[in-house]
Amino acid sequence: MTALSIDIKWSRDNFKLEMQADFTDGITGIFGASGAGKSSLLQLIAGLEKLDEGQISIGDDILDNSTIKQFTASHKRQIGYVFQEGRLFPHMNVRQNLLFATKYIKISQQQFMLSEIVELLEIESLLDKLPRQLSGGEKQRIAIGRSLLSSPRLLLMDEPFSALDTSLRRQIIPFLIKINQKLKLPILVVSHDLPDLLSLSQKLLLVKNGQILAQGNYFELIEKDLLIDIMKESGLINMIPFKIEHIDTDYFELSKKTNKGIISIKREKQLQHFELNDEIHVSLRPEDIVIALHQVEDVSIRNQLEGTILQIIKHGNQIYCLVDVGFKLLVTITETSRKNLKLAEGKTVWCLFKSMALKVNI
Amino acid sequence: MHLLSMTNYFELTSTEWEAISLSLQVAFWSALLCLPLAIFTGWFLARRQFKTKFLFEGFINLPLVLPPVATGFILLLLLGRNGLIGQFLNEMFGIKIAFSYYAAVIASMIVAFPLSVRSMRLSIEMIDPAYEEAARTLGADRWQSFFRITLPLALPGIISGFILAFARSLGEFGATIIFAGNIAGETQTLPLALYSAIQIPGQETTAFRLLIIAVIFSFIAMAGSELLVKNLHHRKHKA
Repeated sequence: MTALSIDIKWSRDNFKLEMQADFTDGITGIFGASGAGKSSLLQLIAGLEKLDEGQISIGDDILDNSTIKQFTASHKRQIGYVFQEGRLFPHMNVRQNLLFATKYIKISQQQFMLSEIVELLEIESLLDKLPRQLSGGEKQRIAIGRSLLSSPRLLLMDEPFSALDTSLRRQIIPFLIKINQKLKLPILVVSHDLPDLLSLSQKLLLVKNGQILAQGNYFELIEKDLLIDIMKESGLINMIPFKIEHIDTDYFELSKKTNKGIISIKREKQLQHFELNDEIHVSLRPEDIVIALHQVEDVSIRNQLEGTILQIIKHGNQIYCLVDVGFKLLVTITETSRKNLKLAEGKTVWCLFKSMALKVNI
Repeated sequence: MHLLSMTNYFELTSTEWEAISLSLQVAFWSALLCLPLAIFTGWFLARRQFKTKFLFEGFINLPLVLPPVATGFILLLLLGRNGLIGQFLNEMFGIKIAFSYYAAVIASMIVAFPLSVRSMRLSIEMIDPAYEEAARTLGADRWQSFFRITLPLALPGIISGFILAFARSLGEFGATIIFAGNIAGETQTLPLALYSAIQIPGQETTAFRLLIIAVIFSFIAMAGSELLVKNLHHRKHKA
């Protein structure tokens, strides 16, 4: 289902934005360098800026169209916006911040109760604090909660991770996945950090110089050789969605179906808010995977997945193999290995990796 | 004997009491009436950018540098019995503004207005418009974001603007004497009473008493304003 359609022409101070795209439900990552126009895009969608030409619409609801002189003001759009710095109101405590928007919504239209949000975001103990008494991660969670309590039909997030260190990112990411899945709320997340985005979603929109370079699934973009250049600095990464199979008091088990069998991993439980069958993204670096022509029996590596090479992408000295093992897996190899193993598209291979190489992003 | 003369010395006459009470009333009303207009003008100057802004600012600040007597004269030309607006008001509604209590309030308002605006503007400029944007994405329209976000955040500046206007009105002389006259009990505020006392030989004691009171009032207003603003900032950054 289409959550949002944009056809944007907008310019300001020698900067031009020209974008056309449809967004579906789910989480879409908007990726690009700083200055690519990501924030301007969000501001246009939120109604904080006005289009020069084109149209922005959610279903049949036209929010901005200069030709028919339609412009829905920001406060009437029901679009949540989580700003980079949180922008919590400094003179209000956390509870007042959270409840700010509820004055403007009819009770019948309220999607969430304060208590639900408080529980979901684990912020009970913060309610009477003032914003400046909160850490970066807490502020970010309150900002998300405040937006959700405005009962939005779409949530925009501008660099929600930039103010957070790694451990805080790991706290926020599962919250967002959960919000999207449980609350059926489409989310657009802007970031210049690809691994962060990928841990949220594989649906990406690539933005450069005010234009859309490509839109699609992460692996589709890799197949089209669109991502490798952009991503070289941050490093390519595999993001595999796993399901929670089992939860115990201090650990949980995740699993993923493959062509033949199931990979499962056990990890210590750090946060409480997960339920069975929740989806969790697990990352695996392409350089942590070994390619073999046969299954290897006398070795300690337990994860051995059979698959077909879909594509071999040469990029400078690097060679990337895209292997279908029931899901797509990106593997880095050297030119020598490729020659020795006579690797080619269509060939059946085995991908080997240690369980410890799987990083659970929570 | 000596002690008795000292107590007499500090006993105010009814005219002096009248002047003091009138001063406080005029200053209070003029500061209060200035407030909403000054907040709006301050917000407008802080948030809106337009090409002819400098002209607008120049006009607003005019009473700050114009001799108060000239301001009073302009007011008289506009609102006097034969003035542009005054004549109309008099003929249509029988309202006579010049040389009345209201004239004293208006003269004080005009002179205090730029000071008040300056304070409002500075405090609104200090508030990141990003908060107002956030409020709008949460369903508040421009007015609601102003009242729930900008105004409470600008409160210290608004209070100090009010007190500045009050203090400036207490000291107002030039515009008042031209536009409102020097009528005891109606327009004779403290500075005007002081002026009269200095003019008349033998009134040195009265003049001296009024002088002391003027100094005390002005000091209380300014120190109070500083203290209030400091406390408000403190509350904002601590509590």
